[in-house]
Amino acid sequence: MSKVKPSPLLPDTVIGGYRVVRRLSAGGFGVVYLAVDPSGQQVAIKEYLPSSLATRGVGELAPLVPPEKLSLYRLGLKSFFEEGRSLAQISHASVVSVLNFFRENETVYMVMNYLEGATLQDFIVTARDLKKQKVFRESTIRSLFDEILRGLRIVHQHKMLHLDIKPANIFVTDDDRAVMIDFGAAREVLSKEGNFIRPMYTPGFAAPEMYRRDSSMGPWTDIYAIGACIYACMQGYPPNDAPQRIEKDRLGLSLSRLRGIYSDNLIEVVEWCMSLDPLSRPQSVFALQKELSREGERRYTKLSIGEKMRLSLDNMRSFEKKGLPKAPAPTTRPV
Amino acid sequence: MKFSVFQVSRKGGRAKNEDRMGYCYTRESGLFVLADGMGGHPEGEVAAQLALQTVAALYQREARPLVKDVKTFLASAVMSAHHQIMRYAGNKAMLDTPRTTIVAAVLQGTTATWVHCGDSRLYVVRDGELLTRTRDHSHAERPRPNVTDPLINRNLLLTCLGSPTTPLFEVSAPLALQQGDRIMLCSDGLWGVMDDAQIVRTLSSRQVSDAAPELVELALRRGGNHGDNVTMIALEWETPDAPGSERGVSTDSISDGVFASTIQAGMPADGEIDDLDDDAIERSIAEINEAIRRSAERKS
Repeated sequence: MSKVKPSPLLPDTVIGGYRVVRRLSAGGFGVVYLAVDPSGQQVAIKEYLPSSLATRGVGELAPLVPPEKLSLYRLGLKSFFEEGRSLAQISHASVVSVLNFFRENETVYMVMNYLEGATLQDFIVTARDLKKQKVFRESTIRSLFDEILRGLRIVHQHKMLHLDIKPANIFVTDDDRAVMIDFGAAREVLSKEGNFIRPMYTPGFAAPEMYRRDSSMGPWTDIYAIGACIYACMQGYPPNDAPQRIEKDRLGLSLSRLRGIYSDNLIEVVEWCMSLDPLSRPQSVFALQKELSREGERRYTKLSIGEKMRLSLDNMRSFEKKGLPKAPAPTTRPV
Repeated sequence: MKFSVFQVSRKGGRAKNEDRMGYCYTRESGLFVLADGMGGHPEGEVAAQLALQTVAALYQREARPLVKDVKTFLASAVMSAHHQIMRYAGNKAMLDTPRTTIVAAVLQGTTATWVHCGDSRLYVVRDGELLTRTRDHSHAERPRPNVTDPLINRNLLLTCLGSPTTPLFEVSAPLALQQGDRIMLCSDGLWGVMDDAQIVRTLSSRQVSDAAPELVELALRRGGNHGDNVTMIALEWETPDAPGSERGVSTDSISDGVFASTIQAGMPADGEIDDLDDDAIERSIAEINEAIRRSAERKS
């Protein structure tokens, strides 16, 4: 088998009455295009085209699937349907909405709202480069995650886990709405060897249980990622990944740097969400929402002398180690 | 094809029986399946029942009267069962999904092929010796260099059907059967309270219709007042009927195109068999568009 990725559809190709404008992104599961419907409305269209199972020549329409991969291809198709089915049932401003689903070119397409704006990841990078004390204001963080959590709660109610929540999958639209994107691709990826489907994870945002192959994932797994996203909004950088934390947990230390800058309550919420033990986290979005929306005077506890010394020691140590700024966390997909 | 078969499922010391079992056959093929719904998650018995029904319904469709590609059938049947459970949980908007193990065997021609996920087992006994058995997908039986740690919790499974993590399962190579071979599928309520030697000895001591209930009684006694559900299907391959015993199943007795089953027929939930032929793809797309339309209506 060649390792050449299947070619995306060319601009101006018409599928299901939509005209392709350009490719927006490509992942293991398929390609997302910007397209316009007959009335000129912009939409995003996701094409099922698993790069490890299908090939397509430049300018061709139908993907080719070798017979020995056909059953896996269909298995992946089922996941693609599951994503469509789940998203179709959810109608919430904070969850990307599906407009249409159709079959053409011997594969299937999911038409979604096209969102204009930028990802939270882009915002974090821009904000941290300003080198202010705070990356985002606390009220901004609270209202942003209040919106996200409303959507996530609906997602969980539909028995779906996102499993790849990270700033790059949170979209902030030009009219100031926060929208979760990239559901199906986030959940399962076809492995190349082929016998089963492996989950994927993003270091820093993936809960420890995602690294184990057991059945302990649940709403609390997404909640860990939410905690990590809030952390990233405060620090400007993703937290250490779970295996690192299990070896030596420096989360408390990094969070103590934020004392006095962000309220004790917000810092505690992050610590709670990011507990290594799944059972110690908020067990439902509702529990987290309740805590996050608690009004009242914000308490700020200054660091003690001892804590300050420990921090400055740690600063010196990490200064020696850190030569380069961290790149935004990549998504790890099994190739 | 001819076999004697005995199946039994007992509640043990538990409040309910979350194990399910059954078999079905056509003129030239037989399916034996057992599922152990998991505690610690909701509706284990539903997961086990869904798994059984899904596999049986797919078998009924494929076995005409032979299953053309047994390995592919077993793999896709297990995945379909998983998807059915997820669908069920989704439709009920459950916060946690029902989960189950599964072990299933197809006998046809002169071979047996099986699949398993979790810690429900299949044993093959030949001439009073253990020929082979499945290795559980548990921390205890995970292949590892040092196997001496006695503290491993055998109840901790690496995989099962119904978990948000896609299941892992293993399909065996086809095994050529000989007359008198005994095959047993059982839940951990049985194997968990006795060792393999004892299982093999008891199973081969008498004809299966006697040996099987004795094994189950033994397991129940050992499990005690709080013991687990005990479930098993045992069969003996191509053995002539002993005088005075119950007659075994001869698949020759049923005619072409007929299907016999101890598993309650009918598909769960929406009656859809989760195998994607063209019709199923069209149906899925239609369903999704219907859901989109309904959601849009709610919104406006």
